[in-house]
Amino acid sequence: MATPFQSRRFDRRSVLKGAAALGGLSVASPFVIAARAETPIRIGMIDPLTGVYAAVAQNEVMGARLAVDQINAAGGVLGRPIELLVEDSANDVGTGVQKARKLIERDQVSFLIGDVNSGVAQAIAQVSNEKRILHIVSGGHTDSITGADCKWNVYRVCNTTSMEANSVSSLLFSQYGKKWHFITPDYAFGHTLQKAAATDLAKLGGTVTGNELTPLGTTDFSAYLIKAQAASPDVILVLPQGSDMVNCLKQIVQFGLNQQAHVAGLQQELEALEAMPPEARIGIWMFEWYWNQPGVPGVDKFVADIRKVNGGKVPTARHWFGYTSVHTLAGVANQQKTLDSVALAKALGNFELPPEIKLQPNKCYYRAGDHQLMTSAFVGEAQSHGASDPEDLFRVDHVIAGDATAPAEGETGCKIQWPA
Amino acid sequence: MTQLLLFNVTNGLIIGAFYALMALGLSLILNLSNVINFAHGGFLVIGGYIAYTITPYVGFWGALLIAPVLTAVIGFAVEAVLIRPLYGRDPLYSLLMTFGLAFIIEDGTRFIWGAQGKPVTIPPFLARPLSHEFFFITGYRLFMVATVTIAVGLIFTLLRYTRLGIRIRAATLDLETVAAMGVNVRMLRSLNFAGGIYLAGLAGALAAGQLGLEPTMGTGLLMPSFIAIIIGGVGSLTGTLIGGLLIGVASGVTAVFAPAASEAVMYVLMAVILLARPRGLLGEEGMMT
Repeated sequence: MATPFQSRRFDRRSVLKGAAALGGLSVASPFVIAARAETPIRIGMIDPLTGVYAAVAQNEVMGARLAVDQINAAGGVLGRPIELLVEDSANDVGTGVQKARKLIERDQVSFLIGDVNSGVAQAIAQVSNEKRILHIVSGGHTDSITGADCKWNVYRVCNTTSMEANSVSSLLFSQYGKKWHFITPDYAFGHTLQKAAATDLAKLGGTVTGNELTPLGTTDFSAYLIKAQAASPDVILVLPQGSDMVNCLKQIVQFGLNQQAHVAGLQQELEALEAMPPEARIGIWMFEWYWNQPGVPGVDKFVADIRKVNGGKVPTARHWFGYTSVHTLAGVANQQKTLDSVALAKALGNFELPPEIKLQPNKCYYRAGDHQLMTSAFVGEAQSHGASDPEDLFRVDHVIAGDATAPAEGETGCKIQWPA
Repeated sequence: MTQLLLFNVTNGLIIGAFYALMALGLSLILNLSNVINFAHGGFLVIGGYIAYTITPYVGFWGALLIAPVLTAVIGFAVEAVLIRPLYGRDPLYSLLMTFGLAFIIEDGTRFIWGAQGKPVTIPPFLARPLSHEFFFITGYRLFMVATVTIAVGLIFTLLRYTRLGIRIRAATLDLETVAAMGVNVRMLRSLNFAGGIYLAGLAGALAAGQLGLEPTMGTGLLMPSFIAIIIGGVGSLTGTLIGGLLIGVASGVTAVFAPAASEAVMYVLMAVILLARPRGLLGEEGMMT
């Protein structure tokens, strides 16, 4: 009787079975290869799903998911389905970098999207550049991402801070006055936004009466507002975003400062307006995308699609950022029929978004020289109550093309170094 | 400049009163139960969201009365289920528990009410400044200070003159002896914890009218409250009150000269006081008032 330690000799039946299995494998292998072809193409998305930017980040992810569903329903990318892997940067640079490495090294993503926070986006861009992964910054605005720190593999969907300032400055100057006082969030985004607006103001012949730097997450703005009021400006410009902006505007209105000076800002978002009481929804601002665009192709469908997955609520600019980022990656990959990062990054230069993706009246394309999307600015005034819809809280007066608000390519400081 | 300074000192006192309300709740729990409640900011958020949810049914004033009580009930349950089993262990356990609880509460509120902030409207007569010159003294801020004053007065009266208060103070000094005298220490701790959470709930219901109501609202308010306790001296409620007012004024005055340092100044003040007087201003181990 054979013990477990004794080696067994192959008998004839075993050899026959082995030969049959080997033959079967060679017949079956095309199916194995076919199954491999169906392996999803992975897109990594990093956004601050927790923290002060959680609301806008979650909307970016929702927009991206909608795009993934649409693309998969239409046949995917290069015949393969796409899969979105979402990670939380928690508004922290270290966490963002760690998540980027995890997505690229462990999850083997082909593309990267993110982050809302400019500082995190810049840090992630370093990682994606090192790993040669095509990366779209969906919602981080600071100039340098497509300026002095631009990279061959990094494109951006949202506006730069300079584009935002350029779209509103002259209107604010002509309608509200020439002495401006800034309330500025004390990090990369705030600094570049304030600098851009102050530069515009100097060109127009106005003066800056002061610039209050407020830490991210400030809850009480009264000390800064006391200083702003003492400087007697024509306009108080509120630059913080998210809950900081909500706190600041609520307090301005409660103090009655909007009776003493005009209150306005540059970038405004639907998420923030909806979080404010009606009396705090005041001033001239710019939106980066707005949902109520009668007659513009594709907008109604996009609004209806988002309403279905968003509890009946309309899309915001953030939904559009996520949606556009995914469609850009899929569109260029299908056009070039490759996943090679360098080839795709080159093809994205001057890549124009089709009407059903751009969802705005003006031409919308990625500029080859700095990798910035030339997207429109929707300039107008906040409304205390919605006229046609409870969420119609902004009246769009002008839709200005990205080409008209963006500094010339030569002025951005971007010099793209392509890999050898 | 003098006027600006005066403005900011007054403004700092108003903000400080709010910090003091938060810090008193923290201090109550820390003194008796030896629990560093990192979830205190979370309970503040719960208070704010409950007030927001019930306002359509009971109005602003009804919500202000009911929301802190409901928050305290939640606090009572949390103490009984999660905190109580950890009393016999190293205080690090309860610290880690409340640290985790803070994240659970933040994500829980985000799950229930959504990540997007909620608009909270206060009665119009409170939402305007009392004078053109002192524009930062609005009806609502004055009302907040009045509410904080009343709440603090009630807490001090309760601790000094009622049987429950005397037992809490005694137990803070010597828990074993109080237990040996037949006092139900378990219930005493639960009620004390709920009392501290009541103050957090009240702070949340008040803050919702002043700040944007969103799941991370408590995060920025928690650290100043801890600093207020440390400056005032652990174990002293009066010290906590003074600590809250002091950091409010220091922050306001710094904003005149160096706005960017207005938050950092709290930490500098804490470091200076700890160097000069390591127990804090009025701190003495086991002292209540």
